[in-house]
Amino acid sequence: MGLLVLCVALSAQVRTADQILINPDPKDWLTYGGAYNSQRYSQLKQVTTANVSRLQAKWVYHVDGIDEGEVTPIVSNGVMYISGFNRLDAVDARTGNIIWRYQRQPASSTRQRGTAIYGDKVYVVTADSHLIALDARNGGVRWDVKSDGGNTIAGGAPLVADGKVIVTGNRPGGFIQAYDAETGKYLWTWSALPKPGEAAYKTWGGATPAGAPIWLSGSYDPGLGLLYFGTGQPNPQWTGQGREGDNLYSDSIAALDVKTGTLKWHFQNTPHDVHDWDSMEVSVLVDAPPGTRLPRPSAGSGRPELVEGRKLLMHANRNGFYYILDRANGQYLQGTPFVDKLDWATGLSPEGRPILAPGHEPSVKGTVTCPSTAGATNWPPPTYSPDTRYFYVVAHEGCGVNTITSSSDPESPTAYFESASDPWQAYVRAIDAFTGKRIWEYKAVRSNHYGPGLLSTAGGIVFAPEQFGQVSALDAKTGQSLWHFNTGDVITAAPVAYSVDGQQFFAIMSGTNVFAFGLSDSR
Amino acid sequence: MRAKIFVAGLLVVCCAGFVTAQRGGGGGPQNPFLGNTQAIAEGDALYHKTCTTCHGANGGGGEIGPAIVAGDRMDVGVSDAQTFNIIKNGVQGTPMRPQGLPDSDIWKIVAYIHGLRGTAIDSPLAGDVAHGEAVFWGKGQCSSCHMLGGKGGLTAPDLSNIAGTRKSSSIIDALTKEQHRVFGSGGAHLRALPTMDSYLPVHVTTADGKTIDGILLNEDGYSLQMIGNDNQLHLLDRAKLRRVVVEPKSLMPTDYDKRLAADEFKDLIAFLTRQGYKVPSTGRGGGPAVEQ
Repeated sequence: MGLLVLCVALSAQVRTADQILINPDPKDWLTYGGAYNSQRYSQLKQVTTANVSRLQAKWVYHVDGIDEGEVTPIVSNGVMYISGFNRLDAVDARTGNIIWRYQRQPASSTRQRGTAIYGDKVYVVTADSHLIALDARNGGVRWDVKSDGGNTIAGGAPLVADGKVIVTGNRPGGFIQAYDAETGKYLWTWSALPKPGEAAYKTWGGATPAGAPIWLSGSYDPGLGLLYFGTGQPNPQWTGQGREGDNLYSDSIAALDVKTGTLKWHFQNTPHDVHDWDSMEVSVLVDAPPGTRLPRPSAGSGRPELVEGRKLLMHANRNGFYYILDRANGQYLQGTPFVDKLDWATGLSPEGRPILAPGHEPSVKGTVTCPSTAGATNWPPPTYSPDTRYFYVVAHEGCGVNTITSSSDPESPTAYFESASDPWQAYVRAIDAFTGKRIWEYKAVRSNHYGPGLLSTAGGIVFAPEQFGQVSALDAKTGQSLWHFNTGDVITAAPVAYSVDGQQFFAIMSGTNVFAFGLSDSR
Repeated sequence: MRAKIFVAGLLVVCCAGFVTAQRGGGGGPQNPFLGNTQAIAEGDALYHKTCTTCHGANGGGGEIGPAIVAGDRMDVGVSDAQTFNIIKNGVQGTPMRPQGLPDSDIWKIVAYIHGLRGTAIDSPLAGDVAHGEAVFWGKGQCSSCHMLGGKGGLTAPDLSNIAGTRKSSSIIDALTKEQHRVFGSGGAHLRALPTMDSYLPVHVTTADGKTIDGILLNEDGYSLQMIGNDNQLHLLDRAKLRRVVVEPKSLMPTDYDKRLAADEFKDLIAFLTRQGYKVPSTGRGGGPAVEQ
């Protein structure tokens, strides 16, 4: 009996690498999105709305040899891993001291957005499309494989799910690949571009499918065994003639079976896109809390529908709409604009398909469309707080001009301009996650392009960096700024929260430096 | 066509018996003196007259200019044609001015730098590689500290690409000489905080009397980072430590030429000078186009 108790106690303590990722310790930040649901919500609450004014910089780590950092670091057991193409820096997350650095020659200054950890391994993607597993303790190379088929791996953070390293890329077309996380063995590829004979091939009007690049990390539901990734725009990006049809699976949210890489369902946000509105924006997985009701799909009427307990997927798209889907089957449940400047569609159909407004095809004389090609939001990730039930997103109000040089030749040059008369403006917006209703907004003064991602915490904070270098701690309920710090450089990365030895930290890459913040008097 | 030039270049290199790197290939005009021993010797003299003040002896970095041979700047002017252009035309906005030398002298300097940039993988030394591998994992006991190909110890550098980062002579020195570490030229300014690669043994006693032995990875006045003999990272606050003792020398033996038989040593070197890869020619900034 005593032995049995001991065994139970041991099994309770020793968690497998998969279990650690499925249910991460709040002190760690183990994936690009913080957890498989990509909520970017930290359960840490040492820093609260009451004491956040005492936040201060604890250390700065300079990543030499890069131009502009877009990496979201991960943190495991007090070690921060900061990645680049061909490179990984392991840093003491309490002090910012380098522990080890892996550098594969040649050095690359190309922007890359993160890494992944699985047990004692961390992963590097290389400029020549190798996937490399390093020993997380000393940076030694555990295995090194070339991408299957010579596909070009893009700069999104790898995602480890079901014991597989999931990587993505853009060439020869959008693709997702899986490799065994322990051995590097190649397992499967899903292509976002259909092949002749497949039903989706017929949605290209006879043109050879092109584009649909996939260059950002995804989300994962271990219960359903489904991966969720966004796909990019069809090519050519601003010329629709010659590729008549929906152009599947471009601009879609794709749900893949993690075991096989087969497409379980897809939802296309922007059929036949001519504005480069990819669906790369991170999909956030939320289980509907008790009593949750959603308004009927936009054209519907009657009582709101009870969705309690349903497995939902929230997604603020570059095209200006905020979507709620059932993530088990891809059913469209709701869609609402999250920006005011949206003129290309008058709304969404009951199936979630945009109802097009006339006159927004790019033209030889130039066509103004809102939002712009840069989008109502872009890849910097949003956050969801289960405390407020708000979805927080960096929203851009702005329009752009799309031009083509020939109305008959799809291969002719195209161009895209910002609307000079109507400058863009970035906001942090809090949206009721289940109704799409806007609650508050925080204006990121001077910031317009892209901007950094967000995170929220159990301490009631939304940690909100700005493109123009400010980092602010906002009250998650009201949007009021409670603390700020000027990092002095451009920010286009996403923040993380973690804890070491009882101290909570926030960290963000600004320019070529990672800044870490903690309370002044907690160490 | 490019393949033919490559093969021809390789032949010249082999015949000359000179250590050169194929990473000097690249685009642009070909170096007329590649592998020409006399021209390289003249290039050596010209380099030390013209370049050492800024870039240091052997291109390791000096007070004014960056390292052009070692470290993460190996990719600067990675092709011979690029290096030629930099010497001839300078780099705008930097102290690197056009040098005003005849083209033939510039090519001689380029040929000398080309040779400096080569590493062991470009011309591995002869020997019984399979036997050397057996020595590595067996009698040499290298893998008790070093990892290679995903196996081995954690308390010393991974050797998976040792031949891609070191010259053969440097690998031999590491196994046979007390002072084998490779430093930049005297006076070189640090341009970034380097990793601590001295791998010194450290013995720590915590405030509650616990002892941890291992290898020091980094330290400052307030904290200490080490990998223990338990193969785990230990990240420590000095304020919470009773005692820290750092030994002055790494555990790396430097008498392998004596503790191994002559053929064992030769074959181990043959094995080590083949562990690595040649630098892909993507150059700085290589990588897929960034999407947004």
